[in-house]
Amino acid sequence: MSSGERVLKIPVEYFDNGWKKGEAVITKDAISFAGNTIRFKEIQDLERLKFEGRDALRIKKDGNYYLDFGSRQNQIFKYLAFNLKSDRFAVYFLSPATRGGVVVSDSKWEKGYLSITDEALWFLSASKQIRISIQNLGSVEKDIRTVGKKQRVVLVVTHVENGEVITSFILCPETTMDMLQEYIQTFIEKAKPKEKLSEVEEQILTMVYTGVDSVSVESILGVTTEELNRMYDRLVDLGLARVVKIRKEIELTPRGVALVSEIMKKAAR
Amino acid sequence: MPKVLIVDDTAFMRKLLRNILFSGGFDIAGEAENGKQAVEMYKQLKPDIVTMDIVMPEMNGIEALKAIKKLDPNAKVVMCTAVGQEQMVKAAIKLGAKGYIVKPFQAPKVIEELKKVAGMS
Repeated sequence: MSSGERVLKIPVEYFDNGWKKGEAVITKDAISFAGNTIRFKEIQDLERLKFEGRDALRIKKDGNYYLDFGSRQNQIFKYLAFNLKSDRFAVYFLSPATRGGVVVSDSKWEKGYLSITDEALWFLSASKQIRISIQNLGSVEKDIRTVGKKQRVVLVVTHVENGEVITSFILCPETTMDMLQEYIQTFIEKAKPKEKLSEVEEQILTMVYTGVDSVSVESILGVTTEELNRMYDRLVDLGLARVVKIRKEIELTPRGVALVSEIMKKAAR
Repeated sequence: MPKVLIVDDTAFMRKLLRNILFSGGFDIAGEAENGKQAVEMYKQLKPDIVTMDIVMPEMNGIEALKAIKKLDPNAKVVMCTAVGQEQMVKAAIKLGAKGYIVKPFQAPKVIEELKKVAGMS
């Protein structure tokens, strides 16, 4: 959408007990469709996701609205992402820098913004609009990295995407960095489990993340199926894992995965 | 299949890596719990690949890597690191490490990285 255009009228399919065809009107500060007008500043969250068999945009304002703009989905998503009500900071970012423990070699530093809404962090640039749910944040800390050919202090953020730990780097002036670190840390603390995990429970989380099956977990830890089931129950109760098979196979929730990252860092100290 | 020497000071991580590598079709040459032991075991076992933790007592992973490369300039050593140890990883790569994996890792990624280093992919 060029800055010269004041109003964009565009076909849309919206979900209302099934996908229905309609028209969306997008102005510089609001989107209207099917009798609803949502001002950008009222949008609480925005996400691209699979919904009812479609690649859809979820717009949250009190409730959720699901929209499909077809071939213009990217364009509309980008426009909305840049216009969300947020605290926005000019930064350079590299995301993803590593994925599942391995360096992402084709990822490049981007000039853009770190945008913070009530429910997510966003890395925004001309080519990337990356949303990280606050629930999926794992850790934030400063580290020294080579950027260009210089050693620079960057903010390293770990987060979870599709069950994998991702690291992203942020480069910005140091005063902004201090503030961002504190800001992000506050979100992470909020999502942490209230109870402390035992060493064995931390090891179980790590193994589940790694992809070890329950039989091997029992063998590595030297525990019985009943003992392991009890520990699984506790991880499920703490919201760190969910049951995927009746025979107590569990997979980690994003909070569980995020915690594994922290456990590994603690072990390395 | 390539034989791997696993070097880590925590028994849990050694067991975990053993499990992953065994499932991925690698043979386990042995396990060492510090850099000094790793160098000795490298001489005896002549593994095809070494997975080397960085922070360890007695002799750390960087020192062990140096010693192993001195013994065998063609040694294939993959560093195991945690987030926030980039400086040490860079030093390791300069000293001849063939790759690195960042904890926490996922089994398929570890296998993929080691197969790459072993020249199997």
